[in-house]
Amino acid sequence: MRESEKKDAVDSEGAAPVTLEGHYERIKAAESAKKGLLARPRYTFRMQLYLSFLLVFLFAAATGAILIFVSHEVEKKQRFLEIVNDYMLEVQQARRYEKNFFLYGTNLSDALENVYGAKTIYAGDEDELIRILGQVRHSQITKNLERYETLLKVLAELERGRADNISYREKIKEIEVELREQGQKMVSYGQELMKKEKESLSETILRSRTIHVYALAFLLALLLVNAYLLGRRILGTINRFSLYAQRIASGNFTPITPARRFRDEFTDLAIGINQMILQLESREAVLVQSHKMRAVGTLTAGVAHELNNPLNNITLTAHMLLEDYKRLSDEERIDMLKDVVGEAGRSKAIISNLLDFARESTSHVEPLDLEKMLKETVSLASNQLKLSGMKIELQSTGYLPRVHGDSQQLRQVFLNLILNAIDASKKGGKIQVLLMPADDPGYIAVKVVDFGTGIPEHILGNIFDPFFTTKPKGKGTGLGLSVSQGIVAKHGGRIRVTSKEAEGTTFSVILPVTTIPADISRSPTSS
Amino acid sequence: MDKKVIVLILDDEPIVGKRLKPAVERMGCEVEVFEDPREALQRIDEKTFDIVVTDIRMDEIDGIEVLERVKKKSPRTKVIMITGYAMMALAREAMEKGAYDFIAKPFTPEELRKAIAKAAEALGTPLQNSVTQ
Amino acid sequence: MTIIAISSDSYRMGREIGEKISKRLGYRYLDREILKEISAGSGISEGKLLKALEKTPSALGMSARDQAVYLAHIEKKVIGEFLKDNVVCHGLAAHLYVLGVSHVLKVRVLSNPEVLGKELAPGKDLSGDAMEKLIGRNENARKRWSLKAFSLDETDPSNYDMVISLNKIEINEAVKSIAEAVGYKKFKAMSYSLKCLKDEETAAEARTILFPRFPDAQVRANGPTVVVITKGMKREKQKKALIIKEMVGKIPGVNFVEVHIVNDILRQAAESLR
Ligand SMILES: Nc1ncnc2c1ncn2[C@@H]1O[C@H](COP(=O)(O)OP(=O)(O)OP(=O)(O)O)[C@@H](O)[C@H]1O
Ligand SMILES: [Mg+2]
Repeated sequence: MRESEKKDAVDSEGAAPVTLEGHYERIKAAESAKKGLLARPRYTFRMQLYLSFLLVFLFAAATGAILIFVSHEVEKKQRFLEIVNDYMLEVQQARRYEKNFFLYGTNLSDALENVYGAKTIYAGDEDELIRILGQVRHSQITKNLERYETLLKVLAELERGRADNISYREKIKEIEVELREQGQKMVSYGQELMKKEKESLSETILRSRTIHVYALAFLLALLLVNAYLLGRRILGTINRFSLYAQRIASGNFTPITPARRFRDEFTDLAIGINQMILQLESREAVLVQSHKMRAVGTLTAGVAHELNNPLNNITLTAHMLLEDYKRLSDEERIDMLKDVVGEAGRSKAIISNLLDFARESTSHVEPLDLEKMLKETVSLASNQLKLSGMKIELQSTGYLPRVHGDSQQLRQVFLNLILNAIDASKKGGKIQVLLMPADDPGYIAVKVVDFGTGIPEHILGNIFDPFFTTKPKGKGTGLGLSVSQGIVAKHGGRIRVTSKEAEGTTFSVILPVTTIPADISRSPTSS
Repeated sequence: MDKKVIVLILDDEPIVGKRLKPAVERMGCEVEVFEDPREALQRIDEKTFDIVVTDIRMDEIDGIEVLERVKKKSPRTKVIMITGYAMMALAREAMEKGAYDFIAKPFTPEELRKAIAKAAEALGTPLQNSVTQ
Repeated sequence: MTIIAISSDSYRMGREIGEKISKRLGYRYLDREILKEISAGSGISEGKLLKALEKTPSALGMSARDQAVYLAHIEKKVIGEFLKDNVVCHGLAAHLYVLGVSHVLKVRVLSNPEVLGKELAPGKDLSGDAMEKLIGRNENARKRWSLKAFSLDETDPSNYDMVISLNKIEINEAVKSIAEAVGYKKFKAMSYSLKCLKDEETAAEARTILFPRFPDAQVRANGPTVVVITKGMKREKQKKALIIKEMVGKIPGVNFVEVHIVNDILRQAAESLR
């Protein structure tokens, strides 16, 4: 016992443990899966969400700061442009007055004033001007302004000493030429300044626009990447979990093992599901076992009756031996005792088959001789059949490849089908059990055919539902087919049913032919 | 000497007939034993028995059918059913169809002998040598 | 050679019919009068015996153990009477403990609701609705009682060979039908059914002995063999089995007692789940 347990602990790697022993293996597996799951670095969806929002915020803040700075720059440039404008106005005004002076001899002092104005403006923003114009131009402009002013001043001197007429005119002529020259220079410098300043402004504005566009584009890209990463993580995980759900629904109770790099909210879910799987599995194991015991209970009635025959033979023989002991010859006595011994052996044979089936066994996947197995199952049900006066026929096409599976569980399946067929048949009816290749290549079919009541079409869709039964209370639990389907699904097969009311029913168990041991507990769990 | 009570015993278990034959003969009956219900029915057609003891569950022919055949041929014949599948419904069915008694297996030779003695008495031919151990 | 067990929702009605049949067939009539005798034989007061037949055990009233003991005594006596043959029995729950005996004709008599209503609420004039409710409640109570005492539903028609509704059929007609049914060959006694009855008697006797100490024991008898199944924890197994063997072995005619002590699965499960 101890040893076989140990062996099974190893075996269950590749087995479908519906039994409790297998279940303990699962508990261990679930424990280790839990450890593995919890050992992952923690990086939850919440964290990823916060992080991505933080990133977007930081970027937006940076963009904002840059834009504020740029707009400040633009503002400054604009203000400066105004200053340059003022300066130009002064210069132009000065030149206008200068012209007036030469034409009408007026407004010289006004011109001087304007030049002063221009000079003050210029001096006011000297640094900026140096930056824009460069040192050389700057000193040229300064010099030019100085010169212009000087010339105007000279003119003013001359104006005051008008008495000396001849030299006055000449002198004025002389100065006029240079003044004009200087004035022109002054204007053109101013225009140059203006132009440069305007260019710089529009350049800044352009730059700000570019920054806007790029920032937007980048923000979009950032958001997209975020959405993609988050979405992929969520959807990927959800997909995986829906696969798990399908897997569990199909009866595969392998715990979820860590498949992702991080520990997050879904890890808790996975641990919860593992817990649930264990619960489910233990419930199912109990269900399968208890349904089996029910079947055993049903069979016991048949066995008990069948047992009466050898018991009767023993009773009669023993009584007659007692009664006639003295009268009998030695040979006769020996013959009687031989009968007793033989009938005792027969009694044992009658119950041993059932006991063998009733034993709660560990799950075991092995290559199966289906024909032999069906023979055993049929003989298991034979007393039941006798009880209801029915005949059973077992036919096999022979030469069939083996299937791998758990013989105990499959026997339970066939027994359930046979018992159902018995229930559906009239007294004296016939049941056929056929073993043949299935229509699909690579599959073997076991058909249990009865000629009984058949299944009405409107309930045909429900018969595999747990607890669906049409039998009276205490007779049927409605779990037979549901348990059977679970077992067959684990073997990678399926159960089909065709039925015609009042004509009979055929249940076909279709099992895959396996060249390697059936992988009925492992499936791609981690990816 | 009285006419002997003629008994037919039918059971597909050979040991039953083998052991019951001497046991019942000792009561002063004439006993014929059959394992095959077909042969038994044939014999019943040929000869009228006073008492028929038959098993119910047999492979080929049901004991109830034997009962019906016997009753049809000779209503006065007492039929005693012996079966390992004793249940109320079956017992009632057998009685309804005219069985005289119904005995569940396993039984002792004495139990059957009592039933046969009672049947013989009911037939008006009580057995003299009721055997006691 | 037949026994008639009558069960009725109205004691009066059952009694009337029972007496009429017994007169007609010349059978003995058996009803709760016999409780006196049982009381004398067992030392259990008549009132308690009657209560066991009528009331479901409760925390305040009679305990389940007491009920089981009282019922076992009734059962033993009644079956003893049945073995004397040709009996009409009513009001002693016989239909519940000789269910598997083929020569007992089990009859359920459903009385007229008005009669029943008067019997359940004597002196009161109830409206139709209130009466229906009262009758429904009574039926449920009987159902609960029978399930508790014998794990069978007394009100379930499938437990009877014949169900007669006095709503539709006159008393005399009912008596006639029952008397006729008794004549059916299928209700004749035979070795097998007599053996079943005898076995029931042995089992009932064993119960009277065992129940005071082991009220959860299940007892079956088969000829001289008695099988007792009871729950128990591992360590008390052997001792318990010995005690039971000794107790039951004293019954005359019993030569072998088989005791199965099954593990108290519920208790075990409860412990292992903690
Ligand atoms: N061979 C059949 N012929 C007719 N009806 C069937 C057959 N097999 C199953 N059914 C129907 O399907 C129902 C469900 O069957 P299932 O084996 O799941 O439960 P059950 O037989 O009622 O109960 P249990 O198997 O627990 O005794 C049955 O109640 C019956 O109505
Ligand atoms: Mg079923």
